[in-house]
Amino acid sequence: MRPLLSAFVSVDYPGRPGVLQGVDLEIAPGEILGLVGESGSGKSTLALALLRLLPFRGGTTRGELRLRERDLLALSERQMRAVRGREIGLVLQSPISALNPAMRIGRQIVESWQAHRDHSPDLPGTLEMVSLPTEPSFLDRYPSQLSVGQAQRVLIAMAILHRPALLIADEPTSALDAVTQAEILKLFARLNRQLGMAVLYISHDLLSVASLCHRIAILQQGQIVETNTSEEIFQRPQHAYTQALLRAIPRVPEFLPV
Amino acid sequence: MTARRLFAIAALGLLLATSFGAGLLPKFSYSAQHREFTDAAPSLRFPLGTDELGRDRMARLLSATRVSLVFAAAASLGALILAALIGGVAGYCGGWCDRALVHGIDLMLSLPWLFLLLAVRALLPLNAAPLTSLLATYALLALLGWASPARVVRAGVRSLRDSEFVLQARAEGVTELRILLRHVLPNLRPILLAQFWTSIPLFILTEANLGFLGLSAGEPFPTWGSLLRELQDPLLVRPEAFAPVAAIALSVVCFKLLSPRGGYQV
Repeated sequence: MRPLLSAFVSVDYPGRPGVLQGVDLEIAPGEILGLVGESGSGKSTLALALLRLLPFRGGTTRGELRLRERDLLALSERQMRAVRGREIGLVLQSPISALNPAMRIGRQIVESWQAHRDHSPDLPGTLEMVSLPTEPSFLDRYPSQLSVGQAQRVLIAMAILHRPALLIADEPTSALDAVTQAEILKLFARLNRQLGMAVLYISHDLLSVASLCHRIAILQQGQIVETNTSEEIFQRPQHAYTQALLRAIPRVPEFLPV
Repeated sequence: MTARRLFAIAALGLLLATSFGAGLLPKFSYSAQHREFTDAAPSLRFPLGTDELGRDRMARLLSATRVSLVFAAAASLGALILAALIGGVAGYCGGWCDRALVHGIDLMLSLPWLFLLLAVRALLPLNAAPLTSLLATYALLALLGWASPARVVRAGVRSLRDSEFVLQARAEGVTELRILLRHVLPNLRPILLAQFWTSIPLFILTEANLGFLGLSAGEPFPTWGSLLRELQDPLLVRPEAFAPVAAIALSVVCFKLLSPRGGYQV
């Protein structure tokens, strides 16, 4: 099948070359790909590079980046802006700081729709899909009045408002408690199933992506060391780093009834 | 609201109300000379006495209060607009533009302020109209006082520009103009307000310094600074002549109490 997104990118920051070195990634339509690596391995950098947002952080992206055969690196900034949010959605790591503290959340959701205006927004439907209340009293709140889980759902709602073909989630559960974490993981699986949206799910936690992802790519120091189906990664890890990640998964102590 | 802030608001309100109220009464003229009462001691008619030309000190003080408070606030607003423009461009654009503007700000801050004020102010002809000299003085304060707020604005804009929510807005395809107007500016408001309130007392004091040296508004126009000139007379040891000093100190303390400090709320 023709890949939805294919990337072969290298990224440099000023004074810090080779943050990503020829990262090779292919995402099929409707697929959930997990990207796992430790802190500093370049996961977030890759998420920003795929949306060509790195220049705003001072980085430069080289290589090839294709969305449905369209060369994203050749697009003008204006054309790229039409891709962001509409064809590729992004959910950032820390939900509270990813929302403007001085803006009511309803206003922010509307703004994210107004950025493209390509269809009439199914606002109530989208909010229901992420299990958020739709009444005005909720939408009139400021981000500081939300729980972290609610803020994360608001971000997800904003990211799927235009039904993008690809949703990039950069460690969306790392700020959440275990219960909320499980709910958000389920939410991503449901969005994938209901909307047929491909998901690039970035995490430092191999275990949390295991149940969600069809395939998993392992990133170490700016290079992808192994890509395989979830079953293969867990049953027959090839690379030494993958094996180390697997050994690092905490086990339930034997004295606990499971 | 704390008791200190209430006190500051009440005191400043009283200063403004009495000075503006007095401006409505024809009796309180800052320039009328009562030649038969020159250098008079305080009395019922002249609560602060009269100066050597027989002008009512109370009327002059109230008039000066009006002028100094309003013009210090106006100069602070002017400096703030300059600071927002220059600091905003530096922080938002970054790169060589930022470096050039920061060097400019550093240069402004390293200039010998008082000397510069004196030099530029002294260029104005001594026989300039009182209103011209008044406007020139405060315009000068605004033109020289933008640098330190600009530095604060630049830092604020820079951290907002690199903030997660601006990145998120970009990832949604929001245009740069909207990001500037809806995400950066509203979150800059507390910073701008703080700079506005802290510049006012600074300008009041600077004007007082200039006025004492005879370089504020020309006669017969009274400002707090020009009233201080009377204190240069070593023979003037009457306590009532220190009333302008008290007014300056009170207002500066009140503005310091009012200026927001630390952790602002959005």
